Amino acid sequence: GPTRNVDMTKQEGELAINIKKATNTDETAPKRKHVRACIVYTWDHKSSLSFWAGMKVQPILADEVQTFKALITVHKVLQEGHPVALKEAQANVGWLESLRRGAGHGEGVRGYGKLIEEYVFFLRAKLAFHRQHQEFNGTFEYEEYISLKSINDPNEGYETITDLMTLQDQIDNFQKLIFAHIPHTAHSECRISALVPLVQESYGIYKFITSMLRAMHTTLGDDDALAPLRERYNMQHYRLVKFYYECGQLRYLTSLITVPRLPQDPPGLLAEDDERPGL
Amino acid sequence: MSKVVRSVKNVTKGYTNAQVKVRNATSNDPWGPVGSDMAEIAQLTFADTATFYEIMDILDKRLNDKGKNWRHVLKSLKVLDYCLHEGSELVVTWARKNIYIIKTLREFQHIDEDGRDVGQNIRVSAKELTALIMDEERLRSERRDRKSWKSRVSGIDEH
Repeated sequence: GPTRNVDMTKQEGELAINIKKATNTDETAPKRKHVRACIVYTWDHKSSLSFWAGMKVQPILADEVQTFKALITVHKVLQEGHPVALKEAQANVGWLESLRRGAGHGEGVRGYGKLIEEYVFFLRAKLAFHRQHQEFNGTFEYEEYISLKSINDPNEGYETITDLMTLQDQIDNFQKLIFAHIPHTAHSECRISALVPLVQESYGIYKFITSMLRAMHTTLGDDDALAPLRERYNMQHYRLVKFYYECGQLRYLTSLITVPRLPQDPPGLLAEDDERPGL
Repeated sequence: MSKVVRSVKNVTKGYTNAQVKVRNATSNDPWGPVGSDMAEIAQLTFADTATFYEIMDILDKRLNDKGKNWRHVLKSLKVLDYCLHEGSELVVTWARKNIYIIKTLREFQHIDEDGRDVGQNIRVSAKELTALIMDEERLRSERRDRKSWKSRVSGIDEH
């Protein structure tokens, strides 16, 4: 079929420059154009190997802002890059771990120590999830067939929903830590920009869980067995409403993305419930 | 870039007629693209494979242009939207296969010299176009029925 006409050899050199610029020492958000170039590269080449290699030659451990920006960039490439990026990332867990150790155990001179530690913890959890559940893409974009597939085997469906909820809890912990570290001065944009992929990922997970739980209620017809999942779902719903509300107060964030609006109360999940959330 | 420089570039860089049309429709001029130009480009995607690729190559370059040339990006999204409706089936295939180019523009950012957020229109257009390309049924029905989408794509005056 019709493909893009790109100079693959030229792109390789440009990738190195884009990685360097996305992870420079400026205490700002990684520039979208550079992150986008990394993402597009993985699609054009159907490979992320050069992306990882390019990351590893950057002196990002020397500076906590650079380390944090590298983690944001990696997260975005895992989310929006070619699916192969999620697979190839599994071999780089050790490198991610080295960033955490490099950040030490303190707060760091500019206060990124804890954030780096928690970001690595979250990315490892995300990669572990994708290793277990390879049918999901990096942003958990809704695909009907997956919820259908899981409800054929209720045990598998139950486990998948539980794993998704665990990841959702980890996003919630991490976003709280970021909010606690946003300074009321300049230079807040670097930290706030880490919320962007978290908003997108949490919303994708939320939509998936909602649709899978509905499907499970319809096919299983055993509302009691699913009660623990409903309870956890409701709790996560309220936490997400709060998270999105707080994001809505950050002007810089709302200029970058549309923060989703959830109904105040969780939507019904039982088979006979007619109300559907505006997903 | 001024009109004169653009026409000189068109000659020295050896752009074909179809490519000149796309370049003019997606220029940095603060107006356009007008419906008649887009209709002409859409018709040209039916001509032959070489012409089709010439057109898509320019659109691709423009879609990946830097922030300062945000009008190139915005106008190319409009032209692509138009061609998805009125152009050859190859345009649909191209857009599906390369959807990441459009998807990743949903976070496009550029603040101009006056501090205006000129990326907003691009983010909205990219979001709409992504949704359309992913919704096969809707695209099919919009390709059949002009009225349902014409008001959205035409009537672009100033950016």
